[in-house]
Amino acid sequence: MIHHPYFKNISFLLAFLFPLLLIGEPSSDAGKALFKNNCAQCHAKNMKARLTGPALGGTEERWADYPQQDLYDWIRNSQALISAGHPRATELWNEYKPTIMNAMPDLTDEDIASILLYVNCMYDGSCAPQSAAVTAVGGGGDGNANKGLGTWIYYLLAALLGALALFLARIITNLNKIAAAKEGTFIEAKTLTQILTSKGVITFLIFAGVILGGYTTVNNAIDFGRQQGYAPTQPIEFSHEIHAGIHKIDCQYCHDGARRSKHSVIPPTSTCMNCHRAITVGSNHGTAEITKIFASAGFDPNTNKYIDNIDEVHPDTIKAIYEKWIGDTYLSENGLDELDKEGMNVVDQQWEDIVSSLTNEQKKTVHGPIEWVRIHNLPDHVYFNHAQHVTVGKVECQTCHGPVEEMEVVAQHAPLSMGWCINCHRETEVQFAGNEYYQSYAKYHEELSNGEKDKITVENIGGLECQKCHY
Amino acid sequence: MKNNNIWIGEKDLTKDEKFMEETQNEFNGLTIEKAQKAAESVQSNRRDFLKYLGFGLGAATVAAGCDIPVKRALPYVVKPDSIVPGVATYYASSFVEGGDFCSILVKTREGRPIKIEGNSSCSMTHGGTSARAQASVLSLYDTNRFKNPVLEGDAVDWNTIDGVVKSKLAAAKGIRFVTHTMLSPTDKKALANLKAKYPNTKVVTYDPVSSASILEANEMNFGDRVIPNYRFDKADLIVSFGADFLGTWISPIEYAHQYAKKRKINPKNPKMSRHIQVESHMSMTGSNADNRILVKPSEQGAAIAYLASKIVGGNGPSFGNAKAKTALDKVANQLSANRGNSLVISNSNNVSEQILVNALNNALGNIGSTVDFAGASMQRQGNERELSSLIDELKGGLVDVVIYNNCNPYFEYAKGGMLKDAAAGAFKIAMAFGPSETTASVNAITPIHHSLESWGDAEPKRGYIGMVQPAISPLFNTRQMGLSLLTWAGVNPGGDQPYLTFLKDSWKSGAFANQTSFVGFSGFWQKLLSDGVYNGSAGVSAPSFNGSAATAISRVTKPSNDELEISFYEKVSIGNGIYSNNPWLQEMPDPVDRTSWGNYLAVPVGFDGVQRFVGLNNLKDGDLVELTVGEKTVTVPVIQQFGQMPGTVALALGYGRDLSGMCANGIGVNINDCSITENGLTQYRNAASVSNKVGTEKYFSCVQYHNTFGVTAKNENGETFNADEEALGMAYGASGYQGALVDRSVVYTTNINDLGKTIDRVHHKREEAQHLNDQTLYPFDEYTEDLYSQGHHWGMHVDVQSCTGCNACTVACMAENNVPVVGKKEVSRHHEMTWLRIDRYFYGDLENPNTVYQPMMCQHCDNAPCENVCPVNATNHSSEGLNQMAYNRCVGTRYCANNCPYKVRRFNWMDYNTADIFPANQVPLNGEDVAYGADNLTRMVLNPDVTVRSRGVIEKCSFCVQRIQEGKLAAKTEGRRLIDTDVRTACQTACPTGAITFGDRNNKKGDLAKKLASPLNFIALEEVNVKSSVNYTIKVNNRDKSLDA
Repeated sequence: MIHHPYFKNISFLLAFLFPLLLIGEPSSDAGKALFKNNCAQCHAKNMKARLTGPALGGTEERWADYPQQDLYDWIRNSQALISAGHPRATELWNEYKPTIMNAMPDLTDEDIASILLYVNCMYDGSCAPQSAAVTAVGGGGDGNANKGLGTWIYYLLAALLGALALFLARIITNLNKIAAAKEGTFIEAKTLTQILTSKGVITFLIFAGVILGGYTTVNNAIDFGRQQGYAPTQPIEFSHEIHAGIHKIDCQYCHDGARRSKHSVIPPTSTCMNCHRAITVGSNHGTAEITKIFASAGFDPNTNKYIDNIDEVHPDTIKAIYEKWIGDTYLSENGLDELDKEGMNVVDQQWEDIVSSLTNEQKKTVHGPIEWVRIHNLPDHVYFNHAQHVTVGKVECQTCHGPVEEMEVVAQHAPLSMGWCINCHRETEVQFAGNEYYQSYAKYHEELSNGEKDKITVENIGGLECQKCHY
Repeated sequence: MKNNNIWIGEKDLTKDEKFMEETQNEFNGLTIEKAQKAAESVQSNRRDFLKYLGFGLGAATVAAGCDIPVKRALPYVVKPDSIVPGVATYYASSFVEGGDFCSILVKTREGRPIKIEGNSSCSMTHGGTSARAQASVLSLYDTNRFKNPVLEGDAVDWNTIDGVVKSKLAAAKGIRFVTHTMLSPTDKKALANLKAKYPNTKVVTYDPVSSASILEANEMNFGDRVIPNYRFDKADLIVSFGADFLGTWISPIEYAHQYAKKRKINPKNPKMSRHIQVESHMSMTGSNADNRILVKPSEQGAAIAYLASKIVGGNGPSFGNAKAKTALDKVANQLSANRGNSLVISNSNNVSEQILVNALNNALGNIGSTVDFAGASMQRQGNERELSSLIDELKGGLVDVVIYNNCNPYFEYAKGGMLKDAAAGAFKIAMAFGPSETTASVNAITPIHHSLESWGDAEPKRGYIGMVQPAISPLFNTRQMGLSLLTWAGVNPGGDQPYLTFLKDSWKSGAFANQTSFVGFSGFWQKLLSDGVYNGSAGVSAPSFNGSAATAISRVTKPSNDELEISFYEKVSIGNGIYSNNPWLQEMPDPVDRTSWGNYLAVPVGFDGVQRFVGLNNLKDGDLVELTVGEKTVTVPVIQQFGQMPGTVALALGYGRDLSGMCANGIGVNINDCSITENGLTQYRNAASVSNKVGTEKYFSCVQYHNTFGVTAKNENGETFNADEEALGMAYGASGYQGALVDRSVVYTTNINDLGKTIDRVHHKREEAQHLNDQTLYPFDEYTEDLYSQGHHWGMHVDVQSCTGCNACTVACMAENNVPVVGKKEVSRHHEMTWLRIDRYFYGDLENPNTVYQPMMCQHCDNAPCENVCPVNATNHSSEGLNQMAYNRCVGTRYCANNCPYKVRRFNWMDYNTADIFPANQVPLNGEDVAYGADNLTRMVLNPDVTVRSRGVIEKCSFCVQRIQEGKLAAKTEGRRLIDTDVRTACQTACPTGAITFGDRNNKKGDLAKKLASPLNFIALEEVNVKSSVNYTIKVNNRDKSLDA
């Protein structure tokens, strides 16, 4: 990546401006961020469904009888208002106790106003359409801008050089003409066709073609089988952004193999169920995605129990269980007593999606393992061990996998090419300190202490040798 | 006749022309001329090449445009606590097959058993294994397995077959349960249930190779029908009459461990046991013996009687073998001098001979010391007389239902054919694992689990129990044998796994009730399963001998006057055909004659007084002859066997199967029905006649002469010259300089009395070699000092003295490293792929030589000649001293194999692993439709940590680099220094005698450092200056030369 100082300055400026924007007018955009960080754990994003906490749509109307400050106080510290005996607060407490809403004393009035704006616009559907771009892969906007500029500079440079070449050619031709005229001969001006079909031009074009073709071929050959940026659609629209980013669930809570095995391990459905037994409706997709987990695990959310002897239960019974769940959730979200036409559509569509995501030709039932699409693939002759890197090398997951906590859809961040591995092994310092294993490298310890070396890289202890990864 | 050098075989001694020519060719059957011809026949030129190149590029471009296939990743729904994907889980269990037993740890990955390791907490095997135990994991994935119950040829469900069997049993006049030795006490309880339900049930136990006479003799002499607990670790003098106790006889893993203990040399105080083997055919045990006394198979009884008469007294039998007599006289004196710590054993299947063995041990005071009855062996319980009388009972119509429990008497039993005919009218049930000659003609087949799918226990020695626990849930619709018995007996122990319930109940009321350490059963059970073994009461010791030697002497086998006698023996690999469906064992070369995929008639090598050898009927290796034994004539290939007694030949049992699986059918010849019967017991010998050569074996799959590279060659005048000397002469103009290069240091042998002298000689040679190696311009020492002074520097020590040649390491290596099986044809073309081979050398007396086994694998030379010649740097050196091989870089020039002085590099001539997509490259092992290993079932055995190599690349021993990396990671994760137990190679853990030690040479406190300090060490071919990382020891024998006179 080429760094351009003036662009750094611009981003520096932007960094100053952004908080100012936040501090200024309350906005639904700011509200969205605040909502995600503070409210989304308990309140549905569509503002219509009741999760742990009530549906927030229409909150302001419901509090219209009281001063606005009451609502703001309520949001900051609900328990205080309940103890004070505020009638609306008491009413809500009676409905939801013993669930306590977290106190958020840090929220400013503007913050709350922003959140309420966001709540209202989500409720009536008037929010500005969500920007289509999911977080860009492989770096932030800064990088992209850089890349764009870099390319343009090259184009500009090429155009300038081209113009210069033409200009020089023109000068040479004219000089030749003048020289010829001096000697009395006259050079006939070549037509464009003559120029284009001249030996020189044809040779140049062929030469350029071969070079370009060769370059493309070699580049494509090298890239063959690599899939940087690969972001396939998964059977469940699982969002790492929500889990790892917003809720800050540690990577190794789910990928618990990373610290002790070569595989980081895709978590079993039972790991999902640890939380999703309580969180039964998703903030993004409602019942559409989380029901897939229930179906895979054979869990009946209606009764909050696992289905007994699921292998022997008739598929129609299983279908009925999950359709009832989707339907009931729809009813409670919309405050209906009976499924309307749209509701029936929702049930049908979601069930269809569950079946198509969880079954295939080999697997006929919805329960059983979820067949995720593997994103990070190494060839069979490459041995990679997560534990070595995570536990011993103390390498952050993000070093290779990129900012997964910002990815709505996970994409392969690194090229996973051998050159990429080797490069890291050349630069990365071995965690010599505190690991007695490395005591056997006595000479390096000596060189470190007498200042001959300032760090020992993976390369120094043989990290570039073939049989460290290929055997 | 003496030879002062070592030799590898007859062709080597006689300088056989064809062999000498072969030794000049690195790659057999692929001369340059042939390749050129092939190239010319293609008729392509440079233009074609360019066309192909263009097409190739175009194709690659198109291919590059294609989508990469979507790969799926399936997590568990509920992950079992004990499994972490990517990390191996080990279960303690037991390998049980008939009377064969080995306490094991099963390595499983993602729920698949992939490797067998020894269980070091077993006081019997001490962590050792055998080739058979190692290979058992492959049988689990045998594609020939029965996958469903079969009734009259049709697959049925369990309810149907149980119904039919029950009704047959209920209506039966007489039921016989035919089985090999059953080691499981719980299975015996289940059998008792069946007998209680159907009282007209009788059990017929037999062993594939009968040891019934030992049991009978012990019952008569000691009142205890068992095999005693032989203690080879207490015996200073072992006299074995034909018993192959290191290879196949009763409990080889246990015996090998004990035996090796007594044979390890402490150079300061050199002492070792003496082992005298009396036999006609060189068995694996005989090859390890110090002295062999040659007697014909029919003379064995007389020899025992003669020895007994010398020690116990009484009149000797008529015994015409004067040479053996003289030797046995001296043996008698030595035995008398070693009272209480000598051991006499015999494989004779003659009760009188076994009584004499008992009398000998009794007279020598060995009962209670080397012949212990505490912890007596249960590994042979067969009574073949019952099997014999079953034939009569069937003929007489007294028996109408026969149950065969995982046995194959129609093939294994010498009178199997008679049994089959007699049983024609009976209802026959086979509880069987895979197809056999017996299952081919039964009415009902109830398929059984593999032992890696079963629950159970096994009592190989009295009071000593190994547990069997499943390492995988059953792959097919099979059922445990014991559960079938319980079902038919109408007993349902309950629970999800009824047999487990039964097993637990059995232990609860048994061993658990008699102990005090555990209050609750679950704790007791957990400990039992995690240990894998249980030590109970070993029973009483030393009963008194009660018998008459004099009567017995008169009843031994009378030596026959037949001109040619044949003995039948069991191979270390496939036994009496039990393991013949296992390709690893089929491919494993026999330790002694080094043949694979078939049985070869061992004929004696005669010597005519000059440097010329005349075999029996002038036969050479690989000649086909017609062998006539009794009524039967078979055509069989020949192998010349040193140490085979003149006037005798030998052939292995268990081959020539026709109704088994794809690896067994059509391999070798069947002579199982050629043994004779005397006094109701099978004698594994007969008279024979051998024709002259009638042809040549098409695929002669003996590996003995493979990987031999000659230093002699012929010049254009047809004169033989030494290539080493010549090359040096050309370079330095000084022919004969550097004599060390001619006298290569491959193995060193010595008698224990000359040990001091030999050590001096070896050291002198080593110094000479090291001096020559130091004459270099290249600062090698500085370089290595700098590189290897820190971190790890891997090395190995092979104690040749302890190696018995059993090949457990070879099979372990195949299992660990995904080494392919190549089949008979490919072996015959020198294409075997074993990374670790056991070289066999003879030395000493030409007619009765001693043997050295030298495990040979990549030596990981620090100055490796293979590395310098690779044009693509596919093989290179690591900072830890490993000679690395990067398969994906290899372009297959094979220069490295050319340049390797140890000949340990292997080239994938074909797609042996069925790894590529072109069927034309795949080789069927034995004429099967789908190439072996191309199916998903067999591939389940592959080690996921080791690359599966495809066609066109070189491979070789990696020092189990995957284990090195795993061990290093374990140490790093725990933040401690690496210790010996972190990294142990597959060959090391497999070895029953601890002959192989692997470790970090920089760890001065480790096991390897101790071993490397021994003055017995030398480095193979040290003079060629390749700086090998493997040390071998001098082979020491305790031969008594006076016995040879």
